[in-house]
Amino acid sequence: MIGNILNSIAFIAAITSAIMYFLNFRGFQNTLNFARIAFHTMATSTILASVFLLYLILTHQFQYKYVYSYSDTSLPLGLLISTFYAGQEGSFLLWALWMAIIGVILQQYSAARGDLEPRVMSVYSLVLSFLLLMITPLVKNPFALIYSEPFMASANTINPQFFNLPFLSNYLFTDNSTGMNYVKIDQSLVDALNSAGIGLNEFIINGKGLNPLLQNFWMQIHPPILFVGFAAMSVPFAFAFSALMKNDYKKWIGQALPWTLFAAMVLGLGIMLGGYWAYGVLGWGGYWAWDPVENSSLIPWIVSVAALHTMLVQKKTASENSIGAFAKTNLVLVILAFVLVLYSTFLTRSGVLGDASVHSFVDPGYFAYLLLLIFMGTFIVLGGGLLIYRWNYLKQITPPQNNLLSREFALFTGSVVLGASALVTFLGTSAPIFGKSIQIEFYNEMNLPLGILIGLINGLSLLVKWKSSDGKELLKKSVFSLSASIVATIIMVFAGVRDFKMILFAFASSFAFFVNAEIAFKILRRNLEKAGAYVAHMGLALLFIGVIASSKYDKSIDVNLVKGEPADVFGYKLIFTGYSPTQDGKYLFNILIEKDGKKYKASPVMYYSEYNQGIMRNPDIVPFITKDIYISPISYDDGSSTHSDGQTFQLKKGETIKYGESEIEFVAFDLPADAMQKMMSGGDFEIGAKLVVKNYGSRYEVEPKYGIRNGEKLNDPVEIKEANLVINLVSISANDKMVTLQIEPFKVERQQQEIKREILAVTASIKPFVGLVWLGTVIIVAGFFISMLRRLKESRN
Amino acid sequence: MKTRYYIGGFIIVVFLGLLFYNFTRTNIEYESDFTQVMAKGKTCKATGVWVKEKSFQEDVQNRTFIFYLRDAKNNEMKVIYRGIKPNNFEIASNVVVTGKYENGVFHATDVLTKCPSKYEGQNINTSGS
Repeated sequence: MIGNILNSIAFIAAITSAIMYFLNFRGFQNTLNFARIAFHTMATSTILASVFLLYLILTHQFQYKYVYSYSDTSLPLGLLISTFYAGQEGSFLLWALWMAIIGVILQQYSAARGDLEPRVMSVYSLVLSFLLLMITPLVKNPFALIYSEPFMASANTINPQFFNLPFLSNYLFTDNSTGMNYVKIDQSLVDALNSAGIGLNEFIINGKGLNPLLQNFWMQIHPPILFVGFAAMSVPFAFAFSALMKNDYKKWIGQALPWTLFAAMVLGLGIMLGGYWAYGVLGWGGYWAWDPVENSSLIPWIVSVAALHTMLVQKKTASENSIGAFAKTNLVLVILAFVLVLYSTFLTRSGVLGDASVHSFVDPGYFAYLLLLIFMGTFIVLGGGLLIYRWNYLKQITPPQNNLLSREFALFTGSVVLGASALVTFLGTSAPIFGKSIQIEFYNEMNLPLGILIGLINGLSLLVKWKSSDGKELLKKSVFSLSASIVATIIMVFAGVRDFKMILFAFASSFAFFVNAEIAFKILRRNLEKAGAYVAHMGLALLFIGVIASSKYDKSIDVNLVKGEPADVFGYKLIFTGYSPTQDGKYLFNILIEKDGKKYKASPVMYYSEYNQGIMRNPDIVPFITKDIYISPISYDDGSSTHSDGQTFQLKKGETIKYGESEIEFVAFDLPADAMQKMMSGGDFEIGAKLVVKNYGSRYEVEPKYGIRNGEKLNDPVEIKEANLVINLVSISANDKMVTLQIEPFKVERQQQEIKREILAVTASIKPFVGLVWLGTVIIVAGFFISMLRRLKESRN
Repeated sequence: MKTRYYIGGFIIVVFLGLLFYNFTRTNIEYESDFTQVMAKGKTCKATGVWVKEKSFQEDVQNRTFIFYLRDAKNNEMKVIYRGIKPNNFEIASNVVVTGKYENGVFHATDVLTKCPSKYEGQNINTSGS
């Protein structure tokens, strides 16, 4: 109840705030205070609602559907907190929470800057209204009780002491395909429990838990930061829209710049943290897979970065009687960046990506789907509509283009290239909506030339002067950076970069690096404050070089490591030394890596997950300055059973499979009359599978056996020397009339060899200079931060 | 002044041309009808459900995983995947395989499993007990 009330208040207050601020903008003086009160009421309610949800999670109130669906009692505190945003409801609430907090700061910021507040805050409140509408009790309510709709709760989350309640049998169900038991929780069960004096949170004592894929350190960091970025992107939008409202386009640039820098910085950081998560923990093998969910947040980031550059030009070229260059471009880009954030949300939350993405959410229901569309549509229509309405006026007041060889024009060209890259990524990511899909090659093929251009333009734009430059001077200025980048490129060619486009990309990135480094070096000594852009550019150039090296020139091989026996992999000696269990039920597979007398250790992880009903694998990385050694586990064989070289087959009665030159048919079970009963009761039993094996015209009838003898599992494999076969019956499923067989070639030495051979199969890769990608990211963020401080200072004037 | 627009226009035309060319070249269609997958014999993303009743083979040493998929019209198709059984395969409600149908077998280069229970409530078939 409390949660629902808080969320409803927040929603109503947000709408009220939007309307009151708007009325104030239209000239009603007395609504300003009311608008401020409404806004702060919204912020307070949203914060309280978030605190309340966190409280419900921390105290395991499993009678709430959200708490039940994403958390359980076993999670450590950090991960327990992160279940706050593990589902759609909570992540919308988190987004709204960040917007509320940012909004409080924005309110003060805008109140201190002329007549800005009513316009900016009315737009901002409108955005918040939509977000809060998403989590009201009618749509995606994080505070829904579990029985609001009849809910199937797994029997093992129910307090076992209540299973003997007489009325409970009406609510027990079994899923025949998995054999799992469920309790149907609905209003009538809750009533029955209440009349028996049992509270629902005594009855449900555990939750479904968090997907193990999400159970790691980065889950606690990546989503919250990404959502700060999403939330912050609505601020520049509010400024641009405010400018359109007032029909005044000069001041908003300076006021929006620090916010745009902040939004781009945080969103960029969030995106790259996701990349690190995918690389270091999920074992995707790389940091960027062009997955639609990754792309959909990259697109608004690219557009916002493009906007930053042309905003800078407008700010620089604005004067007493001119609004500055690219005024139209800036409005379009800033509005677009925000709309693309909404588009990203729509793509990832509406289920439209269904088959295309590893981690898109499932269908949220028709109503939420429609609401997301309306959310996005509203701001496209509002932003686009007002822009078109003002377009003619804007055209009149925008000054004409200037010299081709000027920094203004170079920055504009840079933004156009960024826009092209965003367009490419947008098209590829949106393709699944139309039932098409794009291979990753598309992104690489299209973005590589754009990347080359970005590097070149980046360097060039800083060598040319504002307004106009002459060619000779330009050439003189670029002597150092040109020669340095040629040397760097030659070094990279010697190091193995041979692909022509890659050589160009290497040159362009080095060029950007040296130009910026030269300027940064000159500036840094005098004025750190102004170095932000150059620092960020150097970071980008380093990131690019990291991308060149790690994406095109990595080496990878599958190896089987026998315990204790060294294997040679890319000049390194790998020794599997055995596994060790961790406290949370996973297994570390320890590998000793040796080269030139130096020793390193890698411990990739494998474990069986009940939640996913499968083997989960996490890689491990040994980072060096020039490369990462990346080890992904594949499988482990303890050598005790006979299937080390074998294959597993599952086959039905009457079915035939081929193994090598042999055909094996499963004819019938050899099932003693009482075997089933004994199997159920846990007694000794023996079941055989009658097989017919055909090999080069010979026919063998064999019967591997499987069962329990004296409480121990018994496997009685059959060997057919002539057909070079050993067949082991691993398990049976009498209901489906199926058997699982492990078949391997017969080896004479197998019998003599009593020693267990433990084998760990891994994929080992050498990924050169991945570290540069992360280093570049850190430097970019630092550059953004420096710039943000500088622009914040300037915005006060 | 005019030449600037010509050059700009030319670059845009080249870019859009490249975009269109690469888009069509790397485009893979989704196909939920296996008769189409088999008939066309070109690279596509086939979606279906894993046929649990039929045999599967997993050969970890040689990184081969062979299984059967079924589409909505009950057409079945044998899939050979050069790799290991992906995470979540057992509980996947839907499997998307990328590859090509050749000589009676679908050769998959990628297997993607979709799990409804991952983020949302589990839908289960129930029967009274």
